[in-house]
Amino acid sequence: MITRSRKVSDYKQLTKELPTLRYVDPEYVYINLNTARCKEYTLNAKKGDRVKLGEIIGERKGPFFTQPIYSTVSGHIEDVVEKIDSTGITVECVRIKNDFKDTYHEDITDRPDSVIHNMSKEEIVEIVKEKGIVGLGGSGFPSYVKLDTDKDIHTVVINAVECEPYLSSDYRLIKDQPEDIFRGLTYIMQASGAKRGVIAVKKTKTELIEVLEREIARFNEWNIQIAKLDDYYPQGWENATFEQAIGVKVPVGTLPMDKGILGYNVSTCASIYEAVKHNLPITKRHLTVNGDAVKFPQNIRVRVGTSVRELIKLSDGYSEEADKIEVIIGGPMMGVSVENDDVVVTPTTTSVLVFHSVDHKEEPCVRCGSCVFSCPVDIQPVSIMNAVKRDDTVSLKELEANKCIECGLCAYVCTSKIHVTDYVRKGKQQIG
Amino acid sequence: MEIVTKNAPHLRRPNANVTRMMRDVSIALLPLVLFAIYQHGVGGLLILLLSVLAMVATEYVYYQISDCIERLNEAKTDTVQQIRDLRAERKNLKREWKNEKTDQSREAYETFLKTYEEKMPRLKETLKQEKKEASSKDNLSFRLNNKSFTIYNFSVVTSGIIYGLTLPDTIPLSMVVIAAVVGLLLSKLIFGGMGQNIFNPAAFARVFVVLAFGAALSYDAFVDGAAGATALSALSENPLADNVTEHYGYWAMFSGIGLPGSLGETSALLILVGGIYLALRKSFDIFVPITYLATVFVLSYSVMLTQGLGFWYPAVHMLSGGLFFGAIYMATDPITIPVTRPGRIYFAFGLGVITFVIRLFGNLPEGVVFAILIMNMFVPAIDYPKWAKSRFSLRAILIFAIVVVAAILITNLGVHYGL
Repeated sequence: MITRSRKVSDYKQLTKELPTLRYVDPEYVYINLNTARCKEYTLNAKKGDRVKLGEIIGERKGPFFTQPIYSTVSGHIEDVVEKIDSTGITVECVRIKNDFKDTYHEDITDRPDSVIHNMSKEEIVEIVKEKGIVGLGGSGFPSYVKLDTDKDIHTVVINAVECEPYLSSDYRLIKDQPEDIFRGLTYIMQASGAKRGVIAVKKTKTELIEVLEREIARFNEWNIQIAKLDDYYPQGWENATFEQAIGVKVPVGTLPMDKGILGYNVSTCASIYEAVKHNLPITKRHLTVNGDAVKFPQNIRVRVGTSVRELIKLSDGYSEEADKIEVIIGGPMMGVSVENDDVVVTPTTTSVLVFHSVDHKEEPCVRCGSCVFSCPVDIQPVSIMNAVKRDDTVSLKELEANKCIECGLCAYVCTSKIHVTDYVRKGKQQIG
Repeated sequence: MEIVTKNAPHLRRPNANVTRMMRDVSIALLPLVLFAIYQHGVGGLLILLLSVLAMVATEYVYYQISDCIERLNEAKTDTVQQIRDLRAERKNLKREWKNEKTDQSREAYETFLKTYEEKMPRLKETLKQEKKEASSKDNLSFRLNNKSFTIYNFSVVTSGIIYGLTLPDTIPLSMVVIAAVVGLLLSKLIFGGMGQNIFNPAAFARVFVVLAFGAALSYDAFVDGAAGATALSALSENPLADNVTEHYGYWAMFSGIGLPGSLGETSALLILVGGIYLALRKSFDIFVPITYLATVFVLSYSVMLTQGLGFWYPAVHMLSGGLFFGAIYMATDPITIPVTRPGRIYFAFGLGVITFVIRLFGNLPEGVVFAILIMNMFVPAIDYPKWAKSRFSLRAILIFAIVVVAAILITNLGVHYGL
């Protein structure tokens, strides 16, 4: 206990070998119009308009980028309603009634491989930008910005670590569509001019390594490797992944691009493949419904815009003996707890977890030091907690509270069950 | 069914808890307790029982009283404040009137006086009523459970056992109780209870015994052991005497069988067994005892080399006088040591140096508990945000190496010219 403890029980065995259920035809889809990053939007369609799958219906405006809004089904536009998105904030969503025909928009046509092969960096960046591909690991950061870098890129790292417990959506994605990932990776390498591609995966996931190694033989003209990482949390944090996969340390405050690395989440990579090859925006994604308070945990391939309430109904609902539950969008370590299940699936929604709510009994801190030893960015959560309690901004700056990545490990390992992460978060806000 | 929201992370490590940690220390101490009873019979058992009971009872009574005060405070309303405000206002107006001597201020004072005389008796009446209510309600009555009492997490039991094991078997029982009560009260409870104390309660109580009752017994038989001179007290009289090992063989010093000394400090073997158990359960930070023991060993070994002594010299220093006991059970109490790994290593190094220096140059043959208390005072300085770092930097290693070399040099120079 009083030691560096970064192992987090992963609970993935609940769902990882279950087949992926397809639930791609909800009656209504809700396309979120604004996000946490993009506060403003314009909606070009009005009520009653008929839209096709993949048709642009509006535009989100971010701080330095704009993003087209796509319809993910074919059908009729209805009204604008308010829903919660995967980051836990209330957003406006346009409701589209599905006509179950999946009529594709005229633009959605496959590109032949010969065309793709001769595409320049600018063309691929343009496609990624136009199709509104964002970081699907949860960040939601527009992918073209990273791809459009003018730095010299030597390695592309595909992050398939998925270190959060309970999540198996990326796991299923790799098992179901390994080829898409490899193709996506080759497109990224082609665009960035990188000589090397690395797929980082935990070495405990032997089934995945098997699948990837079988696939790698078909892409032997590309220099693609599989990096097997140790089973630690938070190994999926970009910097930790780079450090172990290719041995490059990215200091906090600099971008991976400065070191010649491009990092993409594995689902982002697959969606880049779909955008370049099929000219498709993100219309479907893998999602895990899991947790001890849901009756039938499973992996689902869902249409973007589906309501989470339907997915929980699909999993036989909440277990009856629970009187207090938490609904979490994202992983249990960093995910957002939402106040009701009226949540809409956005491209960045990786999972829906439902837990029995346990109130941990907090004891006084005994300064055992577990949080200090375990912290991935080498700060001292316990000292930061004490500084927050006595409102000491000077100490907070000296303790570098702003370095915190909010991975939640300090609260996880705490022997007194104190919510240390909350204090550090407060400290981070205090010093801005 | 109800959906509640909480902040991430939503998972907790299942087997991490304070109770387990403290209970592990108690379990690791069990062989020592049995050995002490075997060696010293009923007398040893009585001392151990009394020291644990005295500490538990002190904490219980203290929290009964503090909980009672808290309940009374909760029952209090703002009537007292209202009375104070009224009085302050009257004083203010009176002063103004005396200073300015205008009709206006006099008028203001007089009108206020009227309302004051009207309000005051009523407020006093309500205050009386409230006081009556607060004390008549079951606020003052005895409640078996008090919320801050920490016996369930073994922290006070562990302190009691450790304290009892450091005592010599000839100590009068009244002293055991007095030192336990005073020690726990002054070192732990007045600081705010578990997690807030600066000093190790067991070490504090032990030092209290030495300082308060030292004259009642001779030093030889007291600080370091029972009847008969121990190896360390012989060394204390003549620091470089080479006949100390003649009385006791290495095996006796290691196993503690038949050795005079404190109840639990004599058997290095059983202490090590407990230490290994704690290390396997990861219930203490193993770097602290290792650094502590290594420091004492390196210092005594260097003295051996420069003074041309035999290997018995470091061996005696290592195996006698509660060094193992202090290193494994007292110096590792997480509450009173720094939180970072480098900080803990500096802390343990300081312990080693101070222990050795007290043994060589001090008036007392034993220095472990004093060293622990002295280094406890440095913990806030070691943990100071400006320089406390979670990892060793190259610069820190260099400075630390220089300090280590300097400590060895100074000790040897001191031995050469001072003794």
